[in-house]
Amino acid sequence: MPKIIGIDLGTTNSAVAVVEGGEPKILENAEGNRTTPSIVAVSKAGERLVGLLAKRQAVTNPKNTISSVKRLIGRKFSDPEVQGDRKWLPYEMKEASNGGVSIKFGDSWLTPEEISAMVLAKLKADAEAKLGEKIEEAVITVPAYFDDSQRQATKNAGEIAGLKVRRIINEPTAAALAYGFNKKKNEKIVVYDFGGGTFDVSVLEVAEDTVEVKSTGGDTHLGGDDFDKKINEYLVSEYKKQEGVDVSKDPLALQRLREAAERAKHELSTSAETEINLPYITSDASGPKHFLLKLTRAKLEDLVKDYIDRSVELTLKTVKEAGFELKDINELILVGGQTRMPAIQQAVKKAFGKEPHLGVNPDEVVAIGAAVQAGVFQGDVKDVLLLDVTPLSVGLETLGGIFTRLIEKNTTVPTTKSQVFSTASDSQTSVEIHVLQGEREMAGDNKTLARFILDGIPPSPRGVPQVEVTFDIDSNGILNVSAKDKATGKSQSVRIEASTSLSKEEVERLKNEAAKNQAEDKQKRETVEAKNNAESLIYLAEKSVKEAGEKVSEDIKKLVQEKVDALKSVKDGNDVQKIQSAAQELSTEVQKIGQAMYKNEKSEEPKTDDPQPPVENK
Amino acid sequence: MDNQKPQVNIEDLVKELEQCKKEKEEYLNGWKRAKADFINYQKDETKRIDEVMKFSNEMLIRELLPVLDSFQLSLSVMASPAREDAGARRGVEIIQSQFEDILKKHGLEPIKALGSKFDPSLHEAVEEAESDKESGTVIEELTRGWKLHGRVIRPARVKIAK
Repeated sequence: MPKIIGIDLGTTNSAVAVVEGGEPKILENAEGNRTTPSIVAVSKAGERLVGLLAKRQAVTNPKNTISSVKRLIGRKFSDPEVQGDRKWLPYEMKEASNGGVSIKFGDSWLTPEEISAMVLAKLKADAEAKLGEKIEEAVITVPAYFDDSQRQATKNAGEIAGLKVRRIINEPTAAALAYGFNKKKNEKIVVYDFGGGTFDVSVLEVAEDTVEVKSTGGDTHLGGDDFDKKINEYLVSEYKKQEGVDVSKDPLALQRLREAAERAKHELSTSAETEINLPYITSDASGPKHFLLKLTRAKLEDLVKDYIDRSVELTLKTVKEAGFELKDINELILVGGQTRMPAIQQAVKKAFGKEPHLGVNPDEVVAIGAAVQAGVFQGDVKDVLLLDVTPLSVGLETLGGIFTRLIEKNTTVPTTKSQVFSTASDSQTSVEIHVLQGEREMAGDNKTLARFILDGIPPSPRGVPQVEVTFDIDSNGILNVSAKDKATGKSQSVRIEASTSLSKEEVERLKNEAAKNQAEDKQKRETVEAKNNAESLIYLAEKSVKEAGEKVSEDIKKLVQEKVDALKSVKDGNDVQKIQSAAQELSTEVQKIGQAMYKNEKSEEPKTDDPQPPVENK
Repeated sequence: MDNQKPQVNIEDLVKELEQCKKEKEEYLNGWKRAKADFINYQKDETKRIDEVMKFSNEMLIRELLPVLDSFQLSLSVMASPAREDAGARRGVEIIQSQFEDILKKHGLEPIKALGSKFDPSLHEAVEEAESDKESGTVIEELTRGWKLHGRVIRPARVKIAK
């Protein structure tokens, strides 16, 4: 099934997302960025540039760098908006024969659709490269206030770029889709969208399978860029006050200030104060000059207060126009990078008396929503396999009554896990496999599912036999446990049908119990483990002393024996620390035997390095 | 009756077999798909981890770029002939190269700009000026550009010939 992409075709930046494996995700462009500037240009060398590359040469090539074409698309040249924007947009435009706008691009005159198509074509090509497959269809978003002509023109732009436009959807609707609000009936939603260059408010009402736009408002010339400008002006004026130097004529200094201002703005979203630190910003007769200024969040908020107040005012007005009271509004969605600013979130929250939704990245939420809509058309692969998970861990009892998990809870089934265990004492010829289910650390606290015995293990020292225990849960939740002696190949198994037949309540109860007893259980387990470890260490030490015979001096043997006795005296107590430190001392001493013997003997039978405690002997 | 029964059964069985075959195909395909998904996921996961590591480095390195700029600016000021603190200058130079060496080890490399032709994939034009050089040539590098693992993380800010 070919993929359908969702495109947020913005005034300043655009983004693309797609649904993969049921989840929408943003696709990075060829430059590795998650958004692409909606800018195209013809370079002086006659090359066509789109996105970031076009932006990088905008300053020196303003006449042939086309930005903000979304402000012109589908409009008449005589529209007052077009006439207004024409004054500040640096490129040339004229009235087309059909009354629309015609833009000078290199040597030719193009429609806004054709310019937009260049941006869309890049987004399409980059998405194809990222996904490794051809893309032919898309869902594109437009502002809720776009009229038929603007929507048709946007659709045409898509077609020119080689995309079949499955649907044009409203940006606020896409934002609501990204949050899954289309499923909540009779909800009234306010979408507050503070972009880089525009501010849009929309009031939506979710009805039976439809999202209706009740009213729209905003200011097409208010955005995050204004915030940056304000901070920048402040920095320049502060510097002038401090040092008496005007840096507003120095392009490099301005550039550095602009970047520092933007960084400060971002930083002040999370911290209350930031330092702007620009060494060697400029120099005069007295030598180099530096820029050092503390900017607080309060100061920043003071600088942009008018903008925020205005946006809230416009929002309230739009809600009124929809015929709603503030208390009617069920959800608030914030869109656009500028809404990361805490002051904005607070202002909106205060106005409506409720928390706004912030979960989805505000720069990406519209593209994500478009992808969600595209995913509906795409129709994901039918789920023929419904996979279950094990609600509780299953495992077996090991030495000292410890519960050793083989399959952890929440593992997707079918699944198989196996582990090698061994015997706990010399000449042990059988092991008991006690199969349990639960989350507690000690076997006795969990639920027994089955018990069986594997016998016929050839007599050998403890820890030598290798018993492989395999747990297998099939897709029907049936648990098969088998134990196999690797030396003889002898095996035994049991089939447990009811391993997942616990009721929901029972599972919850068991999980809660486990959580409640977690600390205590863990301590119990540690004690048993320390004892087990002490016992096997004592066994190993005594065996080493015996085997070493004459090869090791009596001094060493005596020291080892002392430590063995010390450990024996504490191992049955409950002081884990004491057991552990005595064990540590013995272990150090025992190594000396090894060192003494190492020169004589080199290879021996591979010892049991099995980190697991042996299976309990009954 | 006795004659008819087996006939009906065969028809039913054929139908059932067909149904089974269809289901088998569907299930087998589902299984293959799931297995392929898993293998691909594993592959993607290693790739993603690599990318995450590179990316987390990138965030840190990006924040350090202004410090590199400051080094360069400070050296260019110290270079002015009026000054005689050659020793101090040499010290700062060494700190600068020490710092850059570490970052280079992590994949950072400077972009060549001065004298080359303006290329928006590497450079960002900040200003244009009259020059005897060919139009579009980079005549001054205002801040250095940097690549990390071959990818431009900051273009060189340049002045180009009109």
